Amino acid sequence: MMTAPLILSLVFVGLLVLNTPVAVCIGLATVATIAALGDVPTGYLTAQRIASGISSFSLLAIPFFILAGILMGEGGMARRLMDFAFALVGRFRGGLAYVNTLTCMLFGAVSGSASAAVSSIGGFMIPEMVSKGYKREFAVALTTASATTGLLIPPSNIMIVYAVVAGNVSVVTLFFAGVVPGIMVGLAIMTVSLIVNLRSGMEASEKVPMAQVWCALRGALASVLLVVIVLGGILLGIFSATEASAIAVAYALVLGVGVYREVKLSDLPRILLRAAKTTSVVMLLVGTSQAMSWVLAYENIPQSVSNALLSISSDPWTILLLINVLLLLVGTVMDMTPAVLIFTPMLLPVVTGFGMDPTHFGIMMIANLCIGLCTPPVGTCLFVGCSIGGTTIARTTIPTIPYVFAMLVALILITYFPTFSLWLPRLLDL
Amino acid sequence: MSASPTGQRSGAIGVAVTWFERLVIVLFALLFANVIWGVVSRYVLGRQSPWTEELAVNLLLWVSMLGAALTYRERGHLGVDYLTEKLSPPARLVAAVTAEVAVLLFGGFAMMYGGGMLVAQTLEANQVSAATGWKTGYFYSAVPLSGVFFVLFAIEHLLKLIRPPKLESERKTDT
Repeated sequence: MMTAPLILSLVFVGLLVLNTPVAVCIGLATVATIAALGDVPTGYLTAQRIASGISSFSLLAIPFFILAGILMGEGGMARRLMDFAFALVGRFRGGLAYVNTLTCMLFGAVSGSASAAVSSIGGFMIPEMVSKGYKREFAVALTTASATTGLLIPPSNIMIVYAVVAGNVSVVTLFFAGVVPGIMVGLAIMTVSLIVNLRSGMEASEKVPMAQVWCALRGALASVLLVVIVLGGILLGIFSATEASAIAVAYALVLGVGVYREVKLSDLPRILLRAAKTTSVVMLLVGTSQAMSWVLAYENIPQSVSNALLSISSDPWTILLLINVLLLLVGTVMDMTPAVLIFTPMLLPVVTGFGMDPTHFGIMMIANLCIGLCTPPVGTCLFVGCSIGGTTIARTTIPTIPYVFAMLVALILITYFPTFSLWLPRLLDL
Repeated sequence: MSASPTGQRSGAIGVAVTWFERLVIVLFALLFANVIWGVVSRYVLGRQSPWTEELAVNLLLWVSMLGAALTYRERGHLGVDYLTEKLSPPARLVAAVTAEVAVLLFGGFAMMYGGGMLVAQTLEANQVSAATGWKTGYFYSAVPLSGVFFVLFAIEHLLKLIRPPKLESERKTDT
């Protein structure tokens, strides 16, 4: 039965290199594979898997977190978070670099999307850094790398996607498992900034007067409170992750429209449409991937992949190394959502086979694919960062290298020390 | 700026797209109100309205399916453009046409035809959704409907590729 994987991968790769939308590559490859099974209603089966794959209550959190992220960016919360981060770490030598990373971590904590963080925070952080004497390319590389921390720090849409394809993994557990690794990646990035700052002899930023610090703290309090409400509410069982995402929208709406008055009511239809379109990109991918995982399972392909990997080595450390290298390569050309959707069903059975916790694997996979978002040739965050910062990918490559190195170090720690991912969820009894 | 959130468009497809976008906006707003009502009803009325979850997942299907077609029209779906950008212009045209035909096939076969069969069979089986009491087939009709628009937009893209635009019949006015 070698024909099925052959048809699937040929159609998929063939369409992918022609720049067909990835969701359609997955969809048509699935259609071709199902059709090759023989006497089956191919179209019906595919449509049914897509429809039932999307109609899931867990996935419902995705549109709301996307919507909350847009509202926060346009509603003035992103800027207030930056002021807050500035009050905390702006006083240090080369402080703006740390402000950048910390703001991304805070913003990621409330929005859960890396591209949104690059555009919202890079929009004012990059010009600010350039005016203070930083190289433009350095500022872009830093923002791009920092923004990915938001994918590990909860809430995070990619974790919801992972939980849905992995099955049997709780979104809430994943959320809390990401906290420590997210902070680790952030610290690794700040360490690189520290070294760069020391070597370039960056001037210390001006002292921030205490009154201004308090002002910034008060201003950001409402934005930080959002994280507390969302995570606290989920943890205490007051509402589900999906409901928490809708609460986050309601909160951002009240704050952006009612209190800060930076979003007008007449902006809302446009914002809703933008969020709906971003959502639909993820959902079409999820739907077609669910159709594909069905055919994968039907053809026992995860089993074959597992056997192939185990034939190379049966040592968990080596297999994890192989998987990480594979995912790093995939990440250079493919965006995170399709990569998670395609590779989770194939790789998860391998690692659970030797007793790896699926939560830990999810965190490792996300930390790994974050690196691909910052690297050429295809890096979504890098693209957004370069266009916001007004520079080219070629010129940004050199300053990106130390940050990629830092993220790799964090990835190795996350991979081989499960306790970083599992300590907090266990502490919270999740 | 026009009063419409989605901008003014001319031409039959343009008008259809504008109304289509309004529908997506309304459905998304309903989805939000519905989930919030789920929480409120649980804590204020003491009992969650049973239909909220069911309606929510089906609204999600509608927003996702219709939104996906609109996003495709603006070429907003994720793709890998690294290799095609390195091609010569004629080869790039062939690649672009093949990619659009792939979308046409997918939209036509899996979504329109397959989705149509899905709707027809669930309606025939008289499958009724548990809480709302509505026929499941109606919920699923988002799939073939989106398929129709995928096919339409693919043809629109193909026509633009094959004969370069002479008349700027419409231009996107995104605010």
